[in-house]
Amino acid sequence: MLKEFSYLAPKNKTQLLKLLAEHTGKPGVGKTAKILAGGTDILVNIRNGFDKTDLLIDIKKIGEYSKLDFNKTKGLLIGANVTYIQLINNKNVKKHYPVLIETAGKVGSPQLRNRGTIIGNICTASPAADMSRSLLCLGAEVNIVSIKGSRSMKLKDFFKGVKKTALKAGEIVESITIPIDMADAKYGDEKLKRIKGHDLAQAAVSIVKKDKVLRVAISSCAIVPVLLKDFKSNVSSATVCKEALKSISPIDDIRASKDYRIHMVKTYIKRIMDKI
Amino acid sequence: MKINVKVNGKKYERDVRENMTLLRFIREEIGLTGTKEGCGVGECGACTVILNGKTVNSCIVLAVEADGAVIETIEGEAKNGKMSKLQNSFHEHHAVQCGFCTPGMVLSAKTLLKENPKPSEHEIKEALEGNFCRCTGYQQIIEAIQDASGQMKK
Repeated sequence: MLKEFSYLAPKNKTQLLKLLAEHTGKPGVGKTAKILAGGTDILVNIRNGFDKTDLLIDIKKIGEYSKLDFNKTKGLLIGANVTYIQLINNKNVKKHYPVLIETAGKVGSPQLRNRGTIIGNICTASPAADMSRSLLCLGAEVNIVSIKGSRSMKLKDFFKGVKKTALKAGEIVESITIPIDMADAKYGDEKLKRIKGHDLAQAAVSIVKKDKVLRVAISSCAIVPVLLKDFKSNVSSATVCKEALKSISPIDDIRASKDYRIHMVKTYIKRIMDKI
Repeated sequence: MKINVKVNGKKYERDVRENMTLLRFIREEIGLTGTKEGCGVGECGACTVILNGKTVNSCIVLAVEADGAVIETIEGEAKNGKMSKLQNSFHEHHAVQCGFCTPGMVLSAKTLLKENPKPSEHEIKEALEGNFCRCTGYQQIIEAIQDASGQMKK
């Protein structure tokens, strides 16, 4: 049985932002509100007693948040309601940003991919978030809005710690923009897990390469997903590995040891770079 | 909150609490107990139903979120007391042991075959990724789906 909470489903952005401003969770200022999109994280957390939210604001009725638009100059816009399966089935994404499909396909199971959203994955801000790797490599920008206005930031600056983001009270990530410069890049993604489906990654690496740039992102190896500095495309895998080890800080835990994670990060970097 | 849903072709209007899951709604408000609760946190797939054409774990969907939705459960599979081709195939191949995972397995398989009528063994396994069988009966389930899709040599 889930704890009691209220539920509201605003029909447009104006209603939503008003609600978010009214319910910041600060003492005496409305209820503690959280956004409900796919629900695949938040409803699990509520069920397990980890989340004390007393108001869920469902955004699925806000039509403009379902946008998944590709533009040859602006790149890709992913709205807050876009699910993994919508991304996977999108022709433009398949053609221009296949690394997104590769990582989206590694999330959970069909049931979770049918329901969960890309932006939900980012806002949960797990160090193991599958979408973080591909989005970081592609230089994704996070578009944040509140009743006071809007702001954008690089995804790498959005992650602040384990399940912590740069979002402030009253704000929501309404979309992610992926610039055109990394469209049609060569790519590779490797994720270490015990079983396919239903397992958090123990270590994972995405790499994209286009023209003169090679970009590497690593998840499950630090308190946040890590984006390395840009490399030249003819860089050696040894140099990338060296840089990676400086930037990650994996831990020993029930899923894998620190040494094993480091070993696999190096293995994956070499494996992907050999391929692309 | 008042919600309207269509379950297996029949319309229902109910007043539900915000914290009621779709799973509990189906079992307790509608009285269809073929949908099971296993883990309750979206991992095992025993509570799988088809929501607007897509499989979901009904334990992590709220009943209020399903307002206006079209839902299919295992009870919608048999027509006029006759099992569907897929159900028959599960029966013939002994793809059922304790039966707890079976409703979810059948609905995942049904969705797969609708989108991909001749799936490979690998595609079948991927489609069942979100449905756990703890009697270790996966092989028979895979064979049942291969047979139902006309891909089994006899």
